Amino acid sequence: MTILVVEGLSKSWGGNKAIDGMTFSLEKDAMALIGPNGAGKTTLLSSIAGITLPDQGRIIFDGIDITKTKIWKRVGLGLVKTFQVVRPFVSLTVRENLELFSRVHGGSDIDSVLEVMGLSQFGNKKARELSHGNLKRLEVAKALMTNPKLLLLDEPIGGLSNNEAVGVIDALSSLKKKGTKMIIVEHRLSEIFPFVDSVVVMDKGKKIFQGTTTELFDDEKVREAYMGGETNVDS
Amino acid sequence: MNYRFEGKKWSRLWISISVLIILLVISYVVNMPYFTFSLIFALILVILALSWDFSSGVTGYVNFGLPFFVGVGAFSSGYLYYTYKLPVPFLLFISFLLGITSGFLFSIPTLRVRGPFFTLLSLLLPLLGTDFILAFWTVLGLPTIGYYNLPTLSGSLDYVLLIVTAITAVISFVLYWITQTHFGLVLRGIGDDEDAIISNGLNTFPYKLVTFSLAMGIVSLGGAIYALFTSYAGVDTFGFTFLMYPMLIAILGGRGSIAGSLPAGIIIVLLSQYLSLYIGSLTLIIFSILAILLLLFFPKGLMRSIQ
Ligand SMILES: Nc1ncnc2c1ncn2[C@@H]1O[C@H](COP(=O)(O)OP(=O)(O)OP(=O)(O)O)[C@@H](O)[C@H]1O
Ligand SMILES: [Mg+2]
Repeated sequence: MTILVVEGLSKSWGGNKAIDGMTFSLEKDAMALIGPNGAGKTTLLSSIAGITLPDQGRIIFDGIDITKTKIWKRVGLGLVKTFQVVRPFVSLTVRENLELFSRVHGGSDIDSVLEVMGLSQFGNKKARELSHGNLKRLEVAKALMTNPKLLLLDEPIGGLSNNEAVGVIDALSSLKKKGTKMIIVEHRLSEIFPFVDSVVVMDKGKKIFQGTTTELFDDEKVREAYMGGETNVDS
Repeated sequence: MNYRFEGKKWSRLWISISVLIILLVISYVVNMPYFTFSLIFALILVILALSWDFSSGVTGYVNFGLPFFVGVGAFSSGYLYYTYKLPVPFLLFISFLLGITSGFLFSIPTLRVRGPFFTLLSLLLPLLGTDFILAFWTVLGLPTIGYYNLPTLSGSLDYVLLIVTAITAVISFVLYWITQTHFGLVLRGIGDDEDAIISNGLNTFPYKLVTFSLAMGIVSLGGAIYALFTSYAGVDTFGFTFLMYPMLIAILGGRGSIAGSLPAGIIIVLLSQYLSLYIGSLTLIIFSILAILLLLFFPKGLMRSIQ
């Protein structure tokens, strides 16, 4: 069974259509959602997670229509999203940031999440003292605490050094092997492409491509919209 | 390992409680009724400050409604004493329960909104409630000017101090303990970023509801103690003093710290009583302005902002 089906989803901000009739489903385990700045990727993930209320359309998660379900209830079903701009609880320690969610959707073991995300040594540090790279990892770690079936990641390696990015990608790969499904929004395509099974490309709120990474490079429309006709995907 | 119960975390509370014991001893040694009297008044304000800090200080939901709940405690003890001649412990207990109930009813609509809207509602609803109680009292032919000659907590001022000290210590301990549990962690998280908690799977509303109901119960208990300390319960218990001092104490004591309210409360009340000798009621105005300024410029609390 496909874990996520999105049908005709639309959302406008004022007069500006951020998502315009998006329809797709998550066929395999990991999907990349890409597109130029302002394409509507964050708005789409937020709508799926329940942070933003769509104007139209339906969202089916794990066989349940969750279009009108409250955010925190969606997390309880196993659907959680990370924020593009990290939102740590700054006055709490890293461990406390995770402990907050230790009972959500069955919860996860704090120490193993710290371990997986490479944060073990920072457990007792206040979140406000962390580097950007570690805050990005904490953002993913918080989501992992809720034991998700589907993880929505909004630029999980944005702003990280190459080394840091490799660490995060490795962590995500091991999660994927354990059966967690994910949708990843990223601009750093070369780093996530080896790891995803399919790609959806958005432009101006619309889906302009869905397929595998190899099919992507042959697609004329994608090259036009996303890469301005150039073949270098690593923008 | 349970990191929450490391000694370091609790040391601040123990310091506070030691301060309390030292003051108690000083009060007995000095044996000046005026000093004892001031100390008791200070502790009542500390009880209110602890509740404000536990609810508003930790979560960032700035509540201006405190005086209403002080009034609920004071008036209900007056009413219950005159109508049913209940003994003092019952008056305290029932005031606490009525505070929880009215705190619950207050919280259901107000806690659905945030920031300035919450603060505004927290001010308006109690004003409405006060008018309602007074109107209701008039209809029933009850004395709106208040109840005089209420029984005191004890015939001896020293015993009153001992009782109020014990109650303050228990409240400090319980509230501090709650902030160190998972429940308290959620409250502290709400203070940082409530939406980030909700979008990661926790419904914050029940946590806030329980917190504000309990806190307003304690405020009413404080109101009842005040009424039974002064043997009088009147409209002035709905007044400004019972908002500005607790807020100032909680903020200066380190917002959200719980442990800081006790020393801060003693210092502020003794200072304000000393100042009152020279500038009278100007003191309340000065301290109120100070509270508002601190709230505006150090929304996260003085200590945390300095850090
Ligand atoms: N809260 C909001 N209020 C108003 N407009 C918004 C809001 N969020 C997004 N938008 C607008 O909606 C459009 C889509 O934004 P969105 O953040 O979803 O794009 P994105 O694909 O995630 O971009 P990026 O790659 O820069 O993160 C943009 O035009 C943006 O300005
Ligand atoms: Mg985005």
